[in-house]
Amino acid sequence: MSSTEQGTSSAAPAEPTTAPESAAAPEVPESFYYVHGKDKVVHKVSAGALQHSALIHGMISNLGYTEEQAKANPFPFENIDGDILQMVVDWCNQHKGKPTPPEDTNLPKQKEKLFDLVLAVNYLEIKELLTYCCKQVAMMVKGKSPEEIREIWMIPTDAEDEAAEKEAKKRAGKEAAGETAAAAGDAK
Amino acid sequence: MPFPILRTPFVVLSEVISLLEPNEIVTASFCSKKVRRLLRKQHQRRKPLEWRLYMIQQECWGQVDIMTSRNDEPVTVLSAKHISEASNESEHNLIQMNEYKRGFSLELPVLYFEDWETGSEMIVDYAADLFNLDVYGLEIDRNGIWAIDWINNRQEKMLRSLELVENDLYDMCGDEELDYILTKDTCASEYYILKETVSDDYRFDGKLGPARHLHIYPKGHWVTLDNLMNFDFIDIQVEGSTLSVPDLHTFLKHWRAGGSHRLVYLKLDFQNDTNFENFERELELVEKANVVDDRVSEEEMADWIDGLTIQRMDGVKATIHLDIRYFVLIVWQSTIFQKIL
Repeated sequence: MSSTEQGTSSAAPAEPTTAPESAAAPEVPESFYYVHGKDKVVHKVSAGALQHSALIHGMISNLGYTEEQAKANPFPFENIDGDILQMVVDWCNQHKGKPTPPEDTNLPKQKEKLFDLVLAVNYLEIKELLTYCCKQVAMMVKGKSPEEIREIWMIPTDAEDEAAEKEAKKRAGKEAAGETAAAAGDAK
Repeated sequence: MPFPILRTPFVVLSEVISLLEPNEIVTASFCSKKVRRLLRKQHQRRKPLEWRLYMIQQECWGQVDIMTSRNDEPVTVLSAKHISEASNESEHNLIQMNEYKRGFSLELPVLYFEDWETGSEMIVDYAADLFNLDVYGLEIDRNGIWAIDWINNRQEKMLRSLELVENDLYDMCGDEELDYILTKDTCASEYYILKETVSDDYRFDGKLGPARHLHIYPKGHWVTLDNLMNFDFIDIQVEGSTLSVPDLHTFLKHWRAGGSHRLVYLKLDFQNDTNFENFERELELVEKANVVDDRVSEEEMADWIDGLTIQRMDGVKATIHLDIRYFVLIVWQSTIFQKIL
């Protein structure tokens, strides 16, 4: 977690340690940006690493922040858990300036976090990491029967789908009736 | 660790589906009606044009194979069998559905029917609908002849490839079935692969084609000179041929005069040794063809061109290679030839 600052304030983060850079030293000083997730822990990430995320890259391009401004205004991703954002930041740092090899050994392995990771990666628009995550999801059902797939991918049965649909209709009906009653009350 | 796939955004779901093999897609489609609808929509929206659906119908079972650009070989996605085979085959408990029992064996769903013919139709309809594909190819033994008309009636596009295979369980010959295919107006638009055994005195006296490929093996003894001249194909390959040297001379005269105009590649493997001594004496040999094709090495091209060169009346050249057991004619019509290579 060398790229992470374990601070909690998003206003003025202390100087975090940076991730190990690639052997070739950049000719111009690299700019850094700051991101935090739900846990408010701020991560310092180089612009090069953040290029993997189309969303953040777009934000950077549009904002034209100086490093000072960037430090004072970390990008908030309140919808992403801290540990998930950490995984994403680590991956971006490891793959800074290089494409992901087909068999990437540096990719996150935590299966139990896969769902949250997929949502985060999709939100941040990190295409290569998303493809890898999707490969893992696809691999889960290799050689499995429909019943096993249903369990692994948490797919409701037809009966469960029908029951849920009935329930939704019932709820919608009740809500509509409630609204009608309220409207009638207002009219009186 | 479970993964609630239906709660993922559409982009993720689409990406995962695109990474599944065809057999996994079919298997997943049996999870629920909702998943099937979703997979179906996905393939309607992003039609995988390069995918090909094959129906294989033999003895008393049927299966559907899908060929994709990712795989060298077709992948079997679904099979239909008679209910009597269910008990000793399925690795999982059978699930009773409306018209069949569903099992799962060797990584694919197997549907068991009382009537396997209906079952075969049903699995083809199921897969064709799921992948939004027409049936591209049909592989049958003599019991599956009915499927030719069934397919050509169920879809607008004609069957592209037809393969009639031998059925080892029968001693008798498949003359009647082969005759049905040969005498029918058109069964397939591209490939005819005929592997059925027919009797020694079987003969066919009609025309066949137009299509692209005609492969007859291993028993092509029934192919006569007239047949050869009346086959309208780009690529003809016959194993077990009984054509004689005089037959070949007659055929070459016919070709030089403009007959079999679409032919680009002819290969005959003879049933018996053939004496080609002084064969070239009756040919009007010309200089080698000058052919350039970037996709093949110069050595390979030299091998092909280095033979007996003859010329058609319109100037198109052809090279003949021969041996006691084979006769090959390569016609240098570049644009068509390149499609065959």
